[in-house]
Amino acid sequence: MTPKNNLLIGVVIALIVAASYNIGANPIDFVEGLPNLAIIADEMTEVEPTLFVTAFWSMFETIQMAFIGTMVGVVISLPLSMFAARNLNSKYVYVPVRAILAAVRTFPSILWAILFVIMVGLGPFAGVLAIIMYTVGFVTKLQYEAIETIDSDPMDAVKSIGVSKWQLIRYVVLPESAPHLLSQMLYMFDYNVRQTSILGLVGAGGIGFYIINYIKFFEYGKAAVFMLVVLFVVLVIDWVSVKIRDKYIVKSQHGIEVTTS
Amino acid sequence: MNSMMIPSKGIVKIDYQTPNMNNKKFKLMMHNIGYIPQSLGLIKNITVLENTLIGALPRLGKIQSLFKIFPEKEIVEAKKILKQVGLEGKEYRKAYMLSGGEKRRVAIARAFMQKPTLLLADEIVSELDSVTAREIMNLIADAQKTMNLTAIMVHHDMQLALEYANRVAVIKEGEKILEIGVEGDKIVDFQTGNLTPDEIMEMYSVDAKK
Repeated sequence: MTPKNNLLIGVVIALIVAASYNIGANPIDFVEGLPNLAIIADEMTEVEPTLFVTAFWSMFETIQMAFIGTMVGVVISLPLSMFAARNLNSKYVYVPVRAILAAVRTFPSILWAILFVIMVGLGPFAGVLAIIMYTVGFVTKLQYEAIETIDSDPMDAVKSIGVSKWQLIRYVVLPESAPHLLSQMLYMFDYNVRQTSILGLVGAGGIGFYIINYIKFFEYGKAAVFMLVVLFVVLVIDWVSVKIRDKYIVKSQHGIEVTTS
Repeated sequence: MNSMMIPSKGIVKIDYQTPNMNNKKFKLMMHNIGYIPQSLGLIKNITVLENTLIGALPRLGKIQSLFKIFPEKEIVEAKKILKQVGLEGKEYRKAYMLSGGEKRRVAIARAFMQKPTLLLADEIVSELDSVTAREIMNLIADAQKTMNLTAIMVHHDMQLALEYANRVAVIKEGEKILEIGVEGDKIVDFQTGNLTPDEIMEMYSVDAKK
């Protein structure tokens, strides 16, 4: 540890304390509040098994919403990312496209959901639209970054043949960035399932709708059923996507064949 | 020379045209200039055959190229070229699975697929053992005879260059310091800028008096 490091750590700690004081975050409140947590936890143990069917159905709805949102979002973000990549476009194209994307990313999905609920009314469709917006914002960013890290050698070699820009995208950019795309789709789907679970809070469909309503009426036992289902399904999706990733993505990125028995 | 880089000084003319990617006429000429960079520039996630077919892209229509539909004629041609470069039976391997020598063959096949009149190759054999290097050089030499092709290549290995080239220019820091014309085994022309034979001997252990 150099004195400079110590100073830096001191400054960061001082900033945390100052910020906590400003927003009125008090650790004593946390300790005093612990018994309340125990009461909720106690109530949560009184689960109602009959609700599991409803919970799984609403989770299924959530997953479908996330699926549509992810897929449509990725399809939209593919061409967009081509326009936002610095190595494919002039500054006059990618700067405005990036500015719009940055604006889209500024809103969290829940704000998009509120916006779309106003637009198309309550229900899953508003949630799907919100997920699409969020996915487009993020996947496009991830994808144009992937495109920018493509090796410039194949690009130059194929460019030297005198191909058109569309051919270059179709035959070099797409195949070279495809492994990234698959991994981003998995990541995004994973993330969107969790996100869609809370979109119900603003009435945009999915399992979150039930959770927020039961919590509002202090029926923690019933809410717990739905939360357990979310936990379970998210874990399963996580596990599946790790499997898919191992099988396809690791292989194509490192150029080794992985034999899965 | 194919406008991939801008010359720091001097001018380049190919068939009286200055290379420039924005020049439509030159872009048409680029279709027939095979270029093999030192790094080869293969696309690693697609097959050998697909890599080769990229050479045919300029001959493909917009919609065909969007859906990756190559005419049967081109596929037959690509397979013929792959056979010629000794990659028969490996058409459907992914490019990243190939060895160094095989990758070079694919890059050459892609260049041949362009039906080139000029082939530019930058040190494509310098990382190979001498046997493989000779195989690759023979391949290009054969193609030169059958396809009416001019090849311009950069080499480190003076011996190899003298063996295959008609004309060798030794370039040091942008200056041509030596130019050698070769016909068969005989050196027919010899120009040494401002070097003495001793210096040349020292550099390349070539007998300058030969």
